[in-house]
Parts: sequence; C-alpha cells; structure tokens
Amino acid sequence: MRRDPVVAPAVLLVWGAVALFVLYPLGRLLILTFWDGGPSLDAVRRLGGDWTHRVALVNSLVLAALVGIAGTALGLAAALLAVRANMSRWAVRALDAVILLPLISPPFTAAIALIFALGPRGLISYHVFGLTKVNIYGLWGTLLSETLTYFPIAYLTLKAVLANVDPNLEDSAFSLGARRWRVFRTITLPLATPGVANAFLLVSAASLADFATPLILGGTRFPVLPTQAFLQITGLYDTRGGAALCFLLLVPALAVFAGQRWVTERRGGSFVTITGKVGAATRVKSLSPAAVAGLGAVCGLVVVLVLVCYAVIFAASIVRGLGADNSLSLAHYAHVFSGGLRAVRDTLIVAVICMPVGGLFAVVLGFLVSRTQFPGRRALEFAAMLNYALPGTIVGIAYLVAFNDPPLALTGTAFILVVCYVFRYSLAGTRATSAVLAQIDPSIEEASASLGARRDTTFRRVVLPLVRPALLAGMTVLFIRAMTAISATIFLVSLQWSLVTVRILEGITNLELGQASAFSVLVIVLVYVAVVVASLAMRRLNAGSFGQAGTLLGG
Amino acid sequence: MIQAAARGKRLTLEHVSKRFTREGQDAVAAVDNVSLSVEPGELMTLLGPSGCGKTTTLRMIAGFEQPDAGRISIGGDDVTRLMVYRRGIGFVFQNYALFPHLTVFENVAYGLRVRGLPAAAIRTRVGQVLELVGLPGYERRFPNQLSGGEQQRVAVARAVVVEPQLLLFDEPLSNLDAKLRVQMRAELSRLQRQLAITTVYVTHDQEEAMALSDRIAVMRQGRVAQIGTAEELYRSPRSAFVAQFIGRVNLVASRVLAITGGRLAVALWDGSLSVPGADGYVVGQRLSLVLRPESLTLLPESAKAAEGEIVVPGIVRGRTFLGEKVEYLVEVAGALLHATSYDPTRRGVEPVGARVGIMCDAAAVRLLAADS
Repeated sequence: MRRDPVVAPAVLLVWGAVALFVLYPLGRLLILTFWDGGPSLDAVRRLGGDWTHRVALVNSLVLAALVGIAGTALGLAAALLAVRANMSRWAVRALDAVILLPLISPPFTAAIALIFALGPRGLISYHVFGLTKVNIYGLWGTLLSETLTYFPIAYLTLKAVLANVDPNLEDSAFSLGARRWRVFRTITLPLATPGVANAFLLVSAASLADFATPLILGGTRFPVLPTQAFLQITGLYDTRGGAALCFLLLVPALAVFAGQRWVTERRGGSFVTITGKVGAATRVKSLSPAAVAGLGAVCGLVVVLVLVCYAVIFAASIVRGLGADNSLSLAHYAHVFSGGLRAVRDTLIVAVICMPVGGLFAVVLGFLVSRTQFPGRRALEFAAMLNYALPGTIVGIAYLVAFNDPPLALTGTAFILVVCYVFRYSLAGTRATSAVLAQIDPSIEEASASLGARRDTTFRRVVLPLVRPALLAGMTVLFIRAMTAISATIFLVSLQWSLVTVRILEGITNLELGQASAFSVLVIVLVYVAVVVASLAMRRLNAGSFGQAGTLLGG
Repeated sequence: MIQAAARGKRLTLEHVSKRFTREGQDAVAAVDNVSLSVEPGELMTLLGPSGCGKTTTLRMIAGFEQPDAGRISIGGDDVTRLMVYRRGIGFVFQNYALFPHLTVFENVAYGLRVRGLPAAAIRTRVGQVLELVGLPGYERRFPNQLSGGEQQRVAVARAVVVEPQLLLFDEPLSNLDAKLRVQMRAELSRLQRQLAITTVYVTHDQEEAMALSDRIAVMRQGRVAQIGTAEELYRSPRSAFVAQFIGRVNLVASRVLAITGGRLAVALWDGSLSVPGADGYVVGQRLSLVLRPESLTLLPESAKAAEGEIVVPGIVRGRTFLGEKVEYLVEVAGALLHATSYDPTRRGVEPVGARVGIMCDAAAVRLLAADS
C-alpha cells in the first residue's frame, strides 16, 4: 500500500497546515526571545532581575504541584466511588453530571462563585459563619478554585483506568486469602498507579497553563507566569518580555507533557493488556462499607461545593447585586441580549465553523497517523499535538507575534480564531479516531481494496462512516472549547470579532459580576445543551453496529 | 445466473520472496523463493503450521504485501507491482471483514458500486449471488445481526459477485464451530466448482485441505515442501515433515540391509522387510520408514508373520475409543507406536496392558532418506 496515490498529497497538506500554524508561530516566538540582531539571552536575563517574575516562576510550579496532588486525590476518591462502590447506574450518572460541570464551564466560573461565596463579604464566609478575615485572594483561593475546576480531568482518567482493572484479579487475590485493604494496596492501587501518575501530570499541566483563575484570584500578591506574560504584553506593550516569560513557562510545560507521554507510553497508561479479555462480571468487593462511606462523604462535600458554585452564579445573574441588593432583576440578561449579543453571535459563528473544519482535520490526521506509513509520521503526530500541549498563553502570544504583521496579518479576524481552535482542540477528535480505528481490523480496509476501491474511495465509503462517533466527539469538544476558551484567544480578539469569554473577563475587571454571571450562565446552558444533544446522537451511533468512540470529553 | 464460464485464469508465482524486519532484529524470511502454478479453475490449498509463510504468500498474491523478489502473474499478466484494487481478485478474510456500517445488500454491492455498475444491474447481481450462497431475503440485515456461518456466506458472496479472476481465502473457516466448519467446507467446494474460479485457499487444517483441494502445497519455514494431490502427499511424502503434517504417522529409523533384484531389504525392529524400488540406495544407508497407523494391525501375541509381513510383540500402553475406530498406543522395542484399528464392534478392543503382536505389511511401507 506504500505507493498509494492518495496518501502523499493528504500528508503534504496536513504537514503544510501544521508547519504554518504550529511550527511557524512557535519558531517566531523563540526567535523573538533569543534573537536581537544576533543570538542573545538578554530577554531571559532581564526577567531574572525582576522580583515579580522570579516569584511568578516559583508560584507557578508550587501551584501546579499542589493542584496536581489535590486534584488527583479528589479525582481518585470520586473514581473509586463511581467504579468500585457498586453504586447504582443513575447514581453514577448523577455524579458524572455534577463532576463534569466544571469541565464544560467558562474559565472564570469557579473563581467568580468563590468570590461571592468566600470573599470579604461572602455568602458563606460572612453571612453564614460571620467570618470577616477570610481572604480568598492569593495561593489558597487560587488552589481551591483550580482544584475544583480541574479535578474532573483526574476523575475521567482514573475512572477509565479503574474500570479496566479486571475485578477477577481482585477476586483471585481474595481467593488467596488477602483481606480488603491488602487487596486494594497490593492489587488495585498498583494496577492504577500509571493512571494516577498520568492524572497528576494532566491536572498539573492544566494548572500550569491556567490563566483565568490566577488573573482573578491571584491578585498582585500571587503572580504566576501566564498572568505575568499577559500583563507584560497588554499592560506594558512589551512583546519581547512577554515572549521571554512564555519561554520560562514553556520549559516546565514541556517537561510535564514529556513526563505524561512517558508514563502513558511506557506502561500503556495501565496494565490492562496483561489480562486481555475481561472475565465474567463479578460483584466488586474491594472497598469496605466504611471506606465507601468515607469516600462518599468526601465526594458529597465536593459535589455540594460544585453545586453551590453554580447556584451562586445563577443567583448572581438574576438579582441586582448579589450580597448587596438581592432583589430579583433581569437587567443582567437584558444587557447580555442587547450590548452583549454581538459577542454571543461571534462566538457561536466561530464555534460552528470550527466544528466541521476541525472535525475533518482531526479524523484525517488520526487516520494518517494510525493507518498509513510515511516518513516523519511520528514527527507529524508530535507537531500536531504541540498547540494542545502548550499553555494557551504561549500559543496566543506566538500567534500574536507571527500573525500581527503582513504578510500574514490575521489577528483580529474570525479566521485566526478558527485556526487557533482547530489546531489547539482537534486532538480529542484525533485520539477518538485512533481509538475507533484500533477497534476496526485493518482487513476491513483491505476488503475494500480487494473489491477494487482506491484509498480515497475506501476512506470516504468505509473509514469515514465508521469513525462517525469519533468525528462527533471531536466536533463536540471543539464546540465546547470554542465557547469557553480564553487563554490563547484573548490575544487574538478585536473590535470586529469578540468572544463571550472576553466579555466575562471585562465584566469581572469592571466589577460587573452580575453581568459576568449572566454571560456565564448563558454559555453553560448553550454548552450543556450541546453536550446533551451530542450524547444522545452518540448513543444512537454507538447503538449501531460499530465500535464506541469512548467518552465525549476524554483527552 | 453467474455462469461457470472460463473465468478462471492461471496464477503463477516465480521465485517469490518476502522478508520482514522487526525493530532491533535481523530480517526474517517469511516467504523464501516460492514458485508454484495454479491452473485455471483449480483450487490449491497452501497448508502449513502457523508462521510457515502461507498467509504472507496469499497476501502477496492479493497485493496487500509487495514481494521483495520474484514475479506474480495472473493469466500471463505480470501483476507483481499492481495495486490491490486493479488485480480483479476476490478475498475472503479470516474474520470476514464485513463492513459493519453497511447492510448485507450494501456489503455485497460494494465492489459493484466501486466499478460503477448501474443500480438495476447491481440489484440483479446481488440478488443472484445471495441466492447462490443460500441467503435470499437477508439483504437488509446488518453484519452484527448474522450468525458466524451467515457472515461467512456474505463474505463469500461479496468476493464472488465481482466475478474475480482469482478467489483467495485466508483461513475462512477457522472462526466457525466444528460442525459448521464441515458443512461450510462442502458448500465452498460446491460453489468453487460451480463458478470454476481459480482459487488459492490458506489453512492450517489438513483435513480441510484434503477435503477441498485439487492440489495442496505444503509449506514450511517460508518454502514449499511438496505440492501434490491429497492422495499423493499421503502416500508418497517426500520428507518427514510432510509425512507428519498430512495424517498421523510412525517414523521408524532403519537402514538398507541388502539390495537384490530391484528390491531393498530394510531393517525393521529385529527383522528385515523387503520393499520394492532399489534405485539410488546403497547398502548401509540410513533411512526412515513411514508407517501409517492404519497399516499396523493388532494381532494375538502368538501370531506368526506371513510372506512380506513382519510381526513383533508389543504392549498396549494407551487407547482411545472413537466409535468407528480405536487408536492404540503400543510399546514396541522401547518406542511408542500409533496403531489404528477399525470396526472395533466386530474386532473387539484390546485393554491397556495387553500383550499383542504388531503386524506390518511391506506394501504399506514408504521410505524416506534419513536426513529429510
């Protein structure tokens, strides 16, 4: 199949796009940092002289580690409860629904809610407990907010890993005389260890890249790298300094990414392959009732906290000024549907254009990478993943550097927003495609070829219909991200093309929290509807005759 | 109706080789200098243990793999470098490889659609071919609504509906249960004869190969060990490998004791047996004797040998009663021999531990050079 006349042009096309929209901007960013009429380290050295920047580096790393630990612990607790506690189906589904809320929310949701709930005049801290000295700003507030926002990533990862640990293995340990705690300690946990490491790195990476939460809750006392880079550019108009800060952020981000790849590739993410086929269904008994109760209490608390956050946001959107003037009012929504309507429309247009473009890109890339052979295949896979793996701030600033001037003056256009999302958020679709293709025997494609179909015909008539679930999953993720992203696109918006998330940020910085809440509620509702529709469609596709695309939000 | 026209083309492989390289290992020859020719309308089986190169050979004939050396031609046309989709073949996969998102009708119609046939012609042809494989009325079902045997039939229908010059089967029956396998075997045989398409059939099941094939090519370690009809391979194996792979066999070490008047006297146990065919042998040469289990007869311990026979004492060490026959394991001169006795109801069954005489008939003995 090597000399296929169709694969080569497709590879060239994808390579060209990746080179232009991934490698070129990153290259420009590095050149700006390290080239000043010649090779130069001045820009990085200057950072060392600034106290704020030095602290920002340390803060970023400490925060990432703490959020990683807390998020993984919470995620593990919730995953154990969901997979190993014999909960009823609907209970697991309800747990899923609540835990997934933060994943599909605009970035400031938890932060705004925490300000309302635990701020100086917070609903809980002041009005319930009468505390006046609670300070939500700084490390602890940022940590709490980011943990609530990102522990669902750990939950999803660990749930999949634990679900793949064959309960028969635990049974065989029981049969050898081990008690519950011993079985958990010597069988369940070791089997899940690669998953735990993976979850920790994923959550840490998310925290390292998070721009929205520290911008609001970090304040001046707790600077981190992404916010510093943003302020350096938007406040001081110092693009070179911002680029240098990006480089500082790039190093730990790539290290975490490399670590995550190492963990998942060395062990395949879990040990499932050892046992092969999962044996007969057996009732899981590795958690004692007391352990289940303990996990239930922890998860219950978290669930309540998440629900409180969303209740607060909703309340803030329908009263005049939450905490100060609690009279019902639709003024905030009136604003959203008048002055704010433009941003809503722009966001929807960009999101809707992203879906087919990014979805097709994801499927083609996934197909090329997992089903064809060509020189530089692994390199392409890696390059295509870069924009996803790097913090949005870096990608945004790189795009700003690369596409602000002719010949490619693209910033501020809808085009660049679409491009940014496609190359940043197609990875979920690509992975889903690879997962679906892994379940489809290559002989299906060979059968098509043996019946006289060329490679393009096979792709169109056999592969594409089979990867429809992956395409759908990929497009849904693109829609969610396009509705909720801020870190990269804040550098790319303009007066012509603005986004809802940017309006939320403006609302917060102008202290119009009610308006910000109303925008947030709107985004959450739109995204939730999209997820429900996609899930229903997915169920129909999966109920058909072919393989599952995995979870909608995986990856 | 699809006609048994002279659609079959001759397939020839000349010195075809294929090496695979695994990471960090030396290249392994999967197929090593294979030459064979399949006559128009003939069904040839590639038979061998797993890893013998039979499937790789088949995949090179189909065009899924490119040979590193050699030439493949169909009907005299060199197809060695031709893409799969231009070869005009029908391929039936081990796992059937039905398109899971298409109905039975669309699966079978796929090759016709690719060829751009008008809708009416497609409908007619698909209907005929489903009739042929015994699945009329299954048009609207999906593959996951079919049993294994039905999926198998759809796979065959899909392969033959395009009227291929060459039909290729890759262990098509290995996913079916034993009873269905025998039934499908007969149906495939009938279908292939009716359509008269040149066919190459890969299997590791010697019984299947013997039941289906016009000729069998036994493969071992990437090479063709022997080609012949089932009977030729069974009666006159040219190597110990073929002797052991086709049917059950006892190989007994021996040597040439004397050559007289076109006959060989060869050593067997403590005696000597006279067998025809002296050409190329020298006195003292080491040999293996091929003794099929059914040519060893169990007699009472006291039985005497007649002319051209040899009888030795043995002890029954094991037996398997299989209804129409009993398979014995008999210890003779310190070695265990397989012996099969038919019609046990009439002849009786010897118990384990019984002392018996084993009779070997010279006419049933074949000779092999000791190093083959």
